[in-house]
Amino acid sequence: MEKKVDYHALSRYGLKLADQKSTRVKRAEIFYDASNYLSLEIEENSIKHSEMGSDEGMSIRVIDKRGSLGFAFTNKLEKSSIEKMVNTSIKMMNSGTPDPDFRDLPSSYRDYPKVSGLFDKNIKELQIEDSTRYIEDIIRVCRDDEKAISQSASFKSAYSKIMIMNSNGVEVQDKDTNCLVYSQMIVEDKVSKDISSGTDWQLERNLAVINPLKIAEKALEKAHNNLNRKKIKNMKCPLILTPSGAINLILQPIAMGINAETYQYKRGFLVGKLGTKIGSKLLTIEDNALIDGAAGSSSFDGEGVPCQNRKIIENGTLLKSGLLHNSYTANKENIKSTGNSSRSSYSSLPSIDSSNFMLTPGDIPKAEIMQDVKRGILMDDTGDSPNFATGDFSGLILQGNLIENGEIKHPLNETMIAINLLDLFKKIDAISKEVEIFGSYRAPYVRIDEVQILGGKSSTQ
Amino acid sequence: MEIKEELKNIDEPLISRLNRLSSSKIEYWDINCNICEDMALDFTDQKSKEISSSLTTECGIRTFVGGGWGFYVLKELDSQSIENGFLKAIKLARLSESLTKNKFKLGDRDPFIKNFKVTKKKDLLDVPVEEKIELVKYHEKIASGFSPKIINTHTVYTDESSFSIFLNSFGSFIAQDLSFIRIKTSAYAQEKGIIQSSVNSVGGMGGFEIMETDNAKKLSEKTAKEVLDLLGAQSPIGGKITVIMDPRLTGTFVHEAFGHAVEADLVLNNESILKGHIGKKVAIEDVTIYDDPTIGQGKKFNLPHELFGSYFVDSEGIPSQKTTIIEKGVLKNFLHSLETSSRMNVSPNGHGRASSESEKPQVRMGITMLEPRDWTLEEMIEDTKKGVLCEDFQYGYTDPITGNFQFKCKMSYLIENGEKKHLMRDASLSAMTLEVLNKISAIGKNIATSDGICGKGGQSVRVCDGGPHIRVEDIMIGGLS
Repeated sequence: MEKKVDYHALSRYGLKLADQKSTRVKRAEIFYDASNYLSLEIEENSIKHSEMGSDEGMSIRVIDKRGSLGFAFTNKLEKSSIEKMVNTSIKMMNSGTPDPDFRDLPSSYRDYPKVSGLFDKNIKELQIEDSTRYIEDIIRVCRDDEKAISQSASFKSAYSKIMIMNSNGVEVQDKDTNCLVYSQMIVEDKVSKDISSGTDWQLERNLAVINPLKIAEKALEKAHNNLNRKKIKNMKCPLILTPSGAINLILQPIAMGINAETYQYKRGFLVGKLGTKIGSKLLTIEDNALIDGAAGSSSFDGEGVPCQNRKIIENGTLLKSGLLHNSYTANKENIKSTGNSSRSSYSSLPSIDSSNFMLTPGDIPKAEIMQDVKRGILMDDTGDSPNFATGDFSGLILQGNLIENGEIKHPLNETMIAINLLDLFKKIDAISKEVEIFGSYRAPYVRIDEVQILGGKSSTQ
Repeated sequence: MEIKEELKNIDEPLISRLNRLSSSKIEYWDINCNICEDMALDFTDQKSKEISSSLTTECGIRTFVGGGWGFYVLKELDSQSIENGFLKAIKLARLSESLTKNKFKLGDRDPFIKNFKVTKKKDLLDVPVEEKIELVKYHEKIASGFSPKIINTHTVYTDESSFSIFLNSFGSFIAQDLSFIRIKTSAYAQEKGIIQSSVNSVGGMGGFEIMETDNAKKLSEKTAKEVLDLLGAQSPIGGKITVIMDPRLTGTFVHEAFGHAVEADLVLNNESILKGHIGKKVAIEDVTIYDDPTIGQGKKFNLPHELFGSYFVDSEGIPSQKTTIIEKGVLKNFLHSLETSSRMNVSPNGHGRASSESEKPQVRMGITMLEPRDWTLEEMIEDTKKGVLCEDFQYGYTDPITGNFQFKCKMSYLIENGEKKHLMRDASLSAMTLEVLNKISAIGKNIATSDGICGKGGQSVRVCDGGPHIRVEDIMIGGLS
């Protein structure tokens, strides 16, 4: 029924036009993507929405000899719209400022790494009527629990294909799939009337490994653990980060800090720290795009450059080669792009992003990490993020518990953590061997020797 | 108002075909179609990073039957594609209906037929790209040249001109010709190993003339000045203390900490601290809070244009209107979409908003304000023995289920014995929403509003919030010292 667009021919047409229209165009690149998705949503623990949709579009980047960039996109894939898009991009390029650092778009590569498991036929062919079974388990978990009073949840799956073509001879294309299960449980203590929530989610390339039951149960467990929160007094104590806490306070800030673009603009708290020790010897991080079937994996990046597996931090030292580059930031330093150009769709310019960003696990079980803590804090979630410029963090614990004599006690109300991240990295004194995966991030449990806790309970009372 | 050529496909014959296809199968449908031309200019350190322009079309078809919704998204606007999408959307609603256990009906509405066009002096599509670039360069130059301590500047200009059509099974047909514009400047400064940043923005609904207002012209200078001030700022004090919030922070409180809890979809899903509180006292008597996204409010704030968060109708074809949320301390109304108002047996009040035609409407705020009273800021400071004056915010978040919120303030000043003292940076406030509403000890007389983009469920919509200065007793402030 639907009209098929010959996007290869249209792309070549666009590149040719750019070349013909203006002698000032030095290089041009077409990015095409098309996607289909379906989603089911649960509200008040009942199915509420069924949705399907599709999008398809194309963008062009052109640069001139001065290094000025023009960009335009459209989702009207007809010759006339492509002509308008090309003309607009040239006009944009002509009115931009010179940037001697913008030397070129990537050249063509002969070899690309093979990464398998990124496309699942079962997701591409999934019918929305059949996807309802992934929701059934989720609804039951909430219905069967005495304290659960509501749940918001969703199941989403998407199939997309992309193609990148530039006038340096790059021509790559690929297809991939992903699916997401998300659950937010809301529970009420029937006696105290306290209400709390817990969330969990799973993002996968492959339908067979999606486990909605486990996600719902974990969200429920978190909601239970967060009931009847109590204030505590100010204290200095050990802090244990769950994997999602470690992603929040360690992996995400570091991923932003080693983004070569922000680094070159001297924007982040890691500026000037390349080649130096920034954390405890237990801290080792890698960015690996080549893991089969992983959410953050890819064979080439948003500019058609091959992806890699790179060490970022080794035993506490931020490696000299630890930045994530696209072709622009790499050219600026006369090195090769690390293949970290990221592009979410035809409507966006390439930026820089990590792939699978992983904190290397240690060798002790998480139970042992907890065992030695006489009085401390377990943190799973803070809606907050650090001040990226300074690395200062003082955030509210949204999901966290008191630890006493190695045991998890009551959850925390109005409790904040205050620490500088560089200090936090240095004070890491234990890392678990258990690892959890959240989309493109992987982290173990991490213990910080000592942090300042600001409790909501007044110490004079 | 002339309907755009490509949208003329949506005509009487098509509408009657859709009505035939849907009758007896579903109870409600609506269609949102849009043609949009956007421009984005992104400069850093006086160099262009992105100069982009786009032309896109979108269409979202929503269907409803017996408590189940269907939604189908496409980009084609021809009548055949819309009809095919419509059939799929009917199937989707029936699938939802077959699985849902929460059955309900949507309330009936009269048809609403009207065209809306934004007032603008300089149409965005008539302003050459060169002129827009000059504007961005001007701001970059001012910020960069302000001081050698400024190591990095960033300016983003965005504008959007859209033509859209909304129609539904009540017989409504609304055509809108709208345009929005926004500029945001950031500056980073460094001294003795300390890096600080500041961000400010100006936006509105209308044309390029919004960039010629005083607020817009002085934007980069303000950002540069702030970041230099912050470089010299001290770390904040910690503990429980009296806090004076400036209008921007008051706005943040009213929107983030309080406002989300009156969105009726969260109330129905047990995710609000205000469930069951209508008619009850939730704040001290001096507190009145309302949401009013209607057109024509710029003058109230000395702005010669429409506010960034204003709109004619919401994404479900309901006209924008003023809704009193708290009156003299008593909770009066929640904010509603078609669905939540139907389920709670009240009239919809125009808060079913979607970020674009390819997203489905959620309950969202528009322009949320706290009403002023009679204190001047000077009086408030004089009357405060020990406290902190907190201005503006960097970001904030709230746990809607508990009402526990945290805001990171941009600038904060120590107050000692009725005097404003030194500047502090990165102060972060944490408290419980309902406690704050009852611990307000003074409400100022002058109001201001600020623009923002609010995220919920993966969608971003334009909003404004504000109010006067307010003083709140006993709030926890956290810092590193």
